[in-house]
Amino acid sequence: MLTKKLKGLIVASTVAAAALLSTAVVHADDLKSIQDSKEIRIAMSGQYSPFSFANEQNQIVGFDASISEALAERMGVKVKIITTPFDGIIAGLLAKKYDAIIASMTITPERQKAVDFVGPYYHAGRTIVVKEDSSIKSLDDLKDVSVGVTLGDAHDKWARARGNLKVRTYKGLPEMLVDLEAGRIDAIVMDSVPVLVAVKETGQKVRIITPPDSDGGIEGMGIALRKNNPELKATLQKALEDMLADGTYEKISMKWIGNDIR
Amino acid sequence: MDLTLIQRTFPFFLEAAWITVQISVLALVLGFLVAIVLVAGRLSTVLVFRCLARLYISVFRGTPCLVQLFIIYFGGPQVGLELEPFAAGVIGLGLNIAAYMAESIRGAISNVDPGQEEAARSIGFGRGQTLWFITLPQAAKLMIRPLGVNAVALIKGSALVSTISVVELSYTAQRFISSTYKPFEIFMVSALLYIVMVYSVRFIIDYLDNRFAAR
Repeated sequence: MLTKKLKGLIVASTVAAAALLSTAVVHADDLKSIQDSKEIRIAMSGQYSPFSFANEQNQIVGFDASISEALAERMGVKVKIITTPFDGIIAGLLAKKYDAIIASMTITPERQKAVDFVGPYYHAGRTIVVKEDSSIKSLDDLKDVSVGVTLGDAHDKWARARGNLKVRTYKGLPEMLVDLEAGRIDAIVMDSVPVLVAVKETGQKVRIITPPDSDGGIEGMGIALRKNNPELKATLQKALEDMLADGTYEKISMKWIGNDIR
Repeated sequence: MDLTLIQRTFPFFLEAAWITVQISVLALVLGFLVAIVLVAGRLSTVLVFRCLARLYISVFRGTPCLVQLFIIYFGGPQVGLELEPFAAGVIGLGLNIAAYMAESIRGAISNVDPGQEEAARSIGFGRGQTLWFITLPQAAKLMIRPLGVNAVALIKGSALVSTISVVELSYTAQRFISSTYKPFEIFMVSALLYIVMVYSVRFIIDYLDNRFAAR
């Protein structure tokens, strides 16, 4: 009978499809593929001095780069640093263009929905930078003015959530510093370390306002991984903790930042 | 102006410009091949082919190249298409420019005096023969300049691949700016290199045009 045959066919194909799907769902941990290829691909923007930037030999160096190298060394694999714009960095991770993001990324609940975090591997505070002669003296004065933020970072979210600011987004700090000087924005909202380094480098006349801890004075930065990678996550977490314990981390931190930022 | 900075970083800009050249040339070759298929579709007597070619051209000309690159690079893996940034860049730019090149080629063909085709057909040439022996040789001259305009647009548009982590001229510039804080000098150098590339293409186009099309 035709209908019976057809039914049998449907059942058989459903079973086959289910079998295929289930093998697709139970995917191997990324740790295995990293160990097989003997290489971990780590993404950073390369536009965030002193964490990741191109030195005059056009190599990507900095705190994030050194941490990446040290972690890879502990895993017994080589590191391949991939520079990609920060606003697309999570999309690239999900698209499997690399295995991890070590790009000074603040751990936020929103990001935790998309990726898993190892760490925090350092802490930094939110800073508000204004011109030296600005009328903005404290966080309370920061309203009804234009502020510059990096597209897609945690300060971008924060500035928008305040509701009384005109937010302009930028690709990186250098452009923001130029626009602050030119008067196109009244303030920059940013992590403290890069600003301090940049201002020291350029000699620009600015004033730094540090908001209270409750307003993001301290934030944890994490290493982002694709979800469902418990083994890779545990391996990196252990490697990070070992580095923190045996002085490797401190050395890296002193080299690039000048103090221990754990 | 920090001239020594320009001097120190210039070799890396040359390397980066070379990546831009490679990506542009490969995209141009890919684009030309796809464009030929599209033109064949546009001029086909089969309705389905005509419609497909038209659809391709409207979709690729009607959406931003940036979005097309994002779909290929970030969206690709979701449907099993795993591409390195460089390959994704070449394919994205190539598929995009193909739509414009197809219109340039088709425009050139339709600009050939229709009397030529009529004459050829009346002395017994078939449709294909007419196209190959009569129309195309005359159209070839007419497409030099429009295709050159496409090539120039492609070189300038190649800066878009910096968003999918191809470290070409624009992204190299951005990376150097973040460690030197000198956007003016750095962007001037990259602009200068783009001008050199664009004018090299223009020079070639002018030469070909003078040689074959003028008169």
